[in-house]
Amino acid sequence: MAINLSRQFASLVGLSAPKLALASAGSESLARSVVGSAVRRLGSSIEQPRGNPSGELRGEAPKEIRPQQEEEEPREEGGGEEDDEEEDGQVNKETGEIGGPRGPEPTRYGDWERNGRCYDF
Amino acid sequence: MSSNEKTAMTTVLPAGSGTLHYSVKIYKGQHFRRNSWVSVTAFKRCTQKDLSCAMSSSICRSHGVSKSLKTQRYSFSHFPFYESWKPSRTAVNSCLEDGSTKFFDFVVIGSGVAGLRYALEVAKHGTVAVITKAEPHESNTNYAQGGVSAVLCPSDSVESHMRDTIVAGAYLCDEETVRVVCTEGPDRIRELIAMGASFDHGEDGNLHLAREGGHSHHRIVHAADMTGREIERALLEAVVNDPNISMFQHHFAIDLLTSQGGSETVCHGVDTLNTESLEVVRFISKVTLLASGGAGHIYPTTTNPPVATGDGIAMAHRAEAVISNMEFVQFHPTALADEGLPIKPEKSRENAFLVTEAVRGDGGILYNLAKERFMPLYDEREELAPRDVVARSIDDQLKKWNEKYVLLNISHKPKEQILAHFPNIAAECLKYGLDITSQPIPVVPAAHYMCGGVRAGLQGETNVSGLYVAGEVACTGLHGANRLASNSLLEALVFARRAVQPSIDHMSQSGFYVGPSSRWARPVMPSSLPSSAMDDILNVTEQMRKDLQSIMWEYVGIVRSTRRLESAEKKIHELETQWEKFLFQQGWEPTMVALEACEMRNLFCCAKLVVSSALARHESRGLHYTIDFPHVEESMRLPTIILPCSTVSTTWSSRQLHKQPV
Repeated sequence: MAINLSRQFASLVGLSAPKLALASAGSESLARSVVGSAVRRLGSSIEQPRGNPSGELRGEAPKEIRPQQEEEEPREEGGGEEDDEEEDGQVNKETGEIGGPRGPEPTRYGDWERNGRCYDF
Repeated sequence: MSSNEKTAMTTVLPAGSGTLHYSVKIYKGQHFRRNSWVSVTAFKRCTQKDLSCAMSSSICRSHGVSKSLKTQRYSFSHFPFYESWKPSRTAVNSCLEDGSTKFFDFVVIGSGVAGLRYALEVAKHGTVAVITKAEPHESNTNYAQGGVSAVLCPSDSVESHMRDTIVAGAYLCDEETVRVVCTEGPDRIRELIAMGASFDHGEDGNLHLAREGGHSHHRIVHAADMTGREIERALLEAVVNDPNISMFQHHFAIDLLTSQGGSETVCHGVDTLNTESLEVVRFISKVTLLASGGAGHIYPTTTNPPVATGDGIAMAHRAEAVISNMEFVQFHPTALADEGLPIKPEKSRENAFLVTEAVRGDGGILYNLAKERFMPLYDEREELAPRDVVARSIDDQLKKWNEKYVLLNISHKPKEQILAHFPNIAAECLKYGLDITSQPIPVVPAAHYMCGGVRAGLQGETNVSGLYVAGEVACTGLHGANRLASNSLLEALVFARRAVQPSIDHMSQSGFYVGPSSRWARPVMPSSLPSSAMDDILNVTEQMRKDLQSIMWEYVGIVRSTRRLESAEKKIHELETQWEKFLFQQGWEPTMVALEACEMRNLFCCAKLVVSSALARHESRGLHYTIDFPHVEESMRLPTIILPCSTVSTTWSSRQLHKQPV
């Protein structure tokens, strides 16, 4: 169980410091000394976006997707559209997806969005 | 209420102090299960010595402890009430009936993805009853419309998925669990496809993978935007066509049937209420899988369908299963707030309409009702701060100004753009007299997912012999302090599958319980009550539910404090006492059942579990944020464990129906 502990910390540190080579999990003292530095790093990484570190995603996705989509939309999404906009066999030019939802990429802001309603996240 | 009585309700401990008894028993090698929990002390009363002993012996290895829970085969042979059983497929009896008692090898409670996936596998080895409280498709699964995450792309890796999961979970995840789920996920998806679920593909013929928030690779498999529904459809079709599976819809599960067998609690089945025929049906089984989903309805605004009243968590707690991490409730920051609509909907919405982050992404601004833009006060990223920060900020504003909702304004954008991007929101709001191209949208956070639940080992096993759990009702250690997007369907699939072999092994070594039926008092219908009394009970119960939800939102919301949590504890206790007193004054008897009353007792139970857990966590991590301990504490990076209470509980909601005092 002490082995479990150091294994957990060892791999934890492995995640935040991939270059750090750790001996086998049996080395408890190594894990403990490594934990010291890991704690500081964890502290700072945790203060960053929690749970949904999609800040970067949000920043990049719209730039990729929007320019093309905005051209398409006025044509495809004229008045009176229904909830489901997919068409079987329709290929999304941007992603190559067949039969997917038309319009902007549903995950462009991190959640799963269709026509403004968030369906999942 | 004296503190003695208070702590008699449940025993909540951060794993370090509480598992002293648990782990000592484990490592003595004599018991793999606990028997009666004698004098388990509440955290507040733990002595320093206890704590330091606990720390050194277990270092809160509640993870390690539960993983080492081997499925100890319980030998029934020396008990007079069990038939010996020779494992043989052909000898499997299909449902023996004895009046309103049915016998099945496997009973599954819940018909979401976890329950159905499991049912389809174990049906190859025995008879299966799937019990579901409404229509089979009414489950959180059906509403999970985004996707399911798995490593299905050559440039992706299990390590990457693991890392994303653990980061999202604020490092509270159990690493072994995360590894197992991320590793086995791809195979589970492939099986679903083989079963007939159809997911979107790309032109290259491969599955189309989307990338949701928190994931560093494209790995979300989906079926247009109704993935959950598609998976549910495919599984239901297979279930309906399976001759070994019997579906019992509109059967509400009341309590698990358990006994103390030597050193452990054993599960023998479940009592149910057929809500159509208004009859009690008892199911005796060799193995029980609890897959009953979440408890969103402890809060007033939730994305969960009405069935999500925490029935499974409550039943398991009453059956002495260990519960974990209930403080981690996931909210979505911006659900449409009906209270803010010019025309109020006639009946309250069944599940919340979530306004997508894309509205903020496209330039939407959040205001409180005094028209102040508040996000800059909380985060320099303002409206584009991560969802959890936004949720917390909104909650803080609501509590500060004592308001019911805030406003999300996109009306400064061009009308055509708003209508093109957000037609769903526009249409929905217009129905109730709101034009989002010229007015702000009223929004409020909605409860969405319970990261905590019944503590499960790597095979979905619990500390109750013969009881397995999978899906949202389980706390497997995958989500930690916060769930990563699209990991919930994945968890359900993986654990449902993993529980199969241990279940089969357990079943083949067990006999049916065939002892005296008086062993467990049978639930009864309230037919002796005059209809006026029943009406009153229903009305009062409906009001009580709203009152409980208000307390939870007001005092156990997104931004918490010790003072508020303690208030919640007190208020909930008072409300529960008041409700039960009213019931019994009307002539209600402890073994009576009605759907609304049973749901209410489950809601009380879950609410108390959430409050206790929140009080026990003296740090902020992931979804649990408290102003009294606003930072992450490394020493607290442990699951919260709730042990069954040792002393006699005093409320109707805390005791199994068949264990009520006469």
